[in-house]
Amino acid sequence: MLKIKWLLLCLIIYVTAFYFSLHVYSRQSVTITAEDAGRLLPVRMKYFRGVHSTKEIQQWVKEAHETGETISIAGMQHSQGGHTLYPNGTLLNMTGYSKILKFNPQEKKITVQSGVTWADIQEKINSYGLSVKVMQSQNIFTVGGSLSVNVHGRDIRYGSLIDSVDSFRLLTPDGKIINVSRKENSELFPFVIGGYGLFGVILDVTLELADDELYQHRSAEMDYRDYENYFKEKVKQDDSVKMHLARISVASETFLKEMYVTDYVLADQQNIKENYTELKEEQMIALPKFMLGVSRYSDWGKDLLWKTQKEYFIKNDGKYETRNNVMRSDSEFMEYENPNRTEVLQEYFVPVDQFAEYINDLRAVLEKEELNLLNITIRYVGHDEDAVLSYAKNDMFALVMLINQGRSEQDIQATEKVLQKLIDVTLDHDGSFYLPYYSYPSDKQLKRAYPRIEEFFEKKREFDPEERFKNLFYERYGQ
Amino acid sequence: MNYRTFVASQSILMTASSMVFPFYLLLIRNIGDSYSQFGLAYGLFALTAALTHPIIGRLSDKIGDRSLLLLYTWGMAGVMIIVPLIETISALYILQIIMGILGAVQKTTEKTALARQTAGQHTGQKIGNYHLWTSVWGAVAVMATGYLIDFLTIGSLFYIASFLYMISAVILMRSDYILKDQMKEKPVQP
Repeated sequence: MLKIKWLLLCLIIYVTAFYFSLHVYSRQSVTITAEDAGRLLPVRMKYFRGVHSTKEIQQWVKEAHETGETISIAGMQHSQGGHTLYPNGTLLNMTGYSKILKFNPQEKKITVQSGVTWADIQEKINSYGLSVKVMQSQNIFTVGGSLSVNVHGRDIRYGSLIDSVDSFRLLTPDGKIINVSRKENSELFPFVIGGYGLFGVILDVTLELADDELYQHRSAEMDYRDYENYFKEKVKQDDSVKMHLARISVASETFLKEMYVTDYVLADQQNIKENYTELKEEQMIALPKFMLGVSRYSDWGKDLLWKTQKEYFIKNDGKYETRNNVMRSDSEFMEYENPNRTEVLQEYFVPVDQFAEYINDLRAVLEKEELNLLNITIRYVGHDEDAVLSYAKNDMFALVMLINQGRSEQDIQATEKVLQKLIDVTLDHDGSFYLPYYSYPSDKQLKRAYPRIEEFFEKKREFDPEERFKNLFYERYGQ
Repeated sequence: MNYRTFVASQSILMTASSMVFPFYLLLIRNIGDSYSQFGLAYGLFALTAALTHPIIGRLSDKIGDRSLLLLYTWGMAGVMIIVPLIETISALYILQIIMGILGAVQKTTEKTALARQTAGQHTGQKIGNYHLWTSVWGAVAVMATGYLIDFLTIGSLFYIASFLYMISAVILMRSDYILKDQMKEKPVQP
């Protein structure tokens, strides 16, 4: 009997402890820490909701409406300014909401749920000889996320993403589902695209597609002073050039002087396209990852990376590649897991005619300041003011900078100081900056770059007066 | 405690430990914000285990494997209900030390118990058998958890593990009771 007594005693103690633990845990587990790709804004959220069906989202939006809670919408969370986060709010993870709903190859249209990635679409449409019109250079992002930041990419003919969107369905803050297109609820169209998740949940999107074509790489090395003319004469005026990408050196020996460009020129023999249509996968990760790693820590690493990269691109001159393959550029090698440091992006737009002077001014700032700049990629985006928060007020070069920085408060401040100077330089050249990144720009700079920002936030409050959809970007600039 | 109940209880606790292990690693990584803290947390575990091994070895000769196994199972059942609650790195270090000690208890008693159970006969066979079942359960648990984690929170996983440790402990406690009963009855049987 003694044993049974012991057993009972142990069980009673255990059950009590279990109950107590569960009690504490259930109160405590109301917060879950979430982070976006910038890793500078760990935020405690109340709920993580993995979305799979429209009904679920509608239900949760209604629940939040009743309880007065806030909702943030997340795709791949590559926006870096807390656009997908808000303390104590609900995070809707849209990546499971990923069905391709309709695909009509004749009309060249596809309707997808917003959690579908570009990669999913490419896999679906590639064999039909079709391709996405506008997307980022990488294909890992969700369509909904890309719409919310109105992306652009290597394509130089189709403008920004907004231009290739036919229509979409939006779940509004009060839980209703509405169609939005240039005809229906058209006033919302330019707000929701490039709307940073503040107007509701984009449910499904109908996109216009382009033909998949065979391109031939045309690569060249040049001085930054020649780039503007090269682009105007050899790229923009030549209709056979469909996509374009350039890089300017961040290596110490050739800092912001040397460049190389790759144009994707429509190949003469489209009949050999079939030999190249197989979708490529990322293969070489170890070597580029290692080189990028070395370049983070040393100038000679940066020189080495620049030289190797340049040689690699120049060597590819004449290479054939389909449009779909050009639009699935590598990204895995850039993943960076240092717990104390992170890599952030900045994107600055500057009018094509001001490029050389702009670069001179950038260099003047960067030669004085400390900034671990790892890469600058340059692409082109044509004048396009369809979205309210449009960044292309002119025909612009878009410079994407990859910056390695620490995660501490001091590191953030140090980066902010330098970046605000760079942004001033950009704005002085009638430029602009892209909004999905960390909130380094000051309010004043935001207003200069986006004259319609007030209108944007006012519309947000009018459409969502209870501020159901909230994120840190809105909190930082909109309130 | 006979061989069967020993294997049963060990299999259950293996299930529990392999179920939470990958998520425990994740947890340590999330709480510690640098690899040096991660390293220290793991180092503390290994070091306390190393230092306590000789003591536990001697203890097992004195008080028996069963008591130590009970200490381990109840101890882990307790630890598992604390894990979901911890938030600070120092709490994690303390937990790692406790788990280091308990881990050493398990490692030693698993072997001493096996050695004593087999008492020189079919030792290899029995040890083989023992590892077969404990490993099979471990493997099943890891795979099942992979699927389950879509439906459960990480916290509830630790609670389930705790529950399994508790069952394992109860089996051990009950087993001795039955065994004694049988021993009492035995002389009656002709």
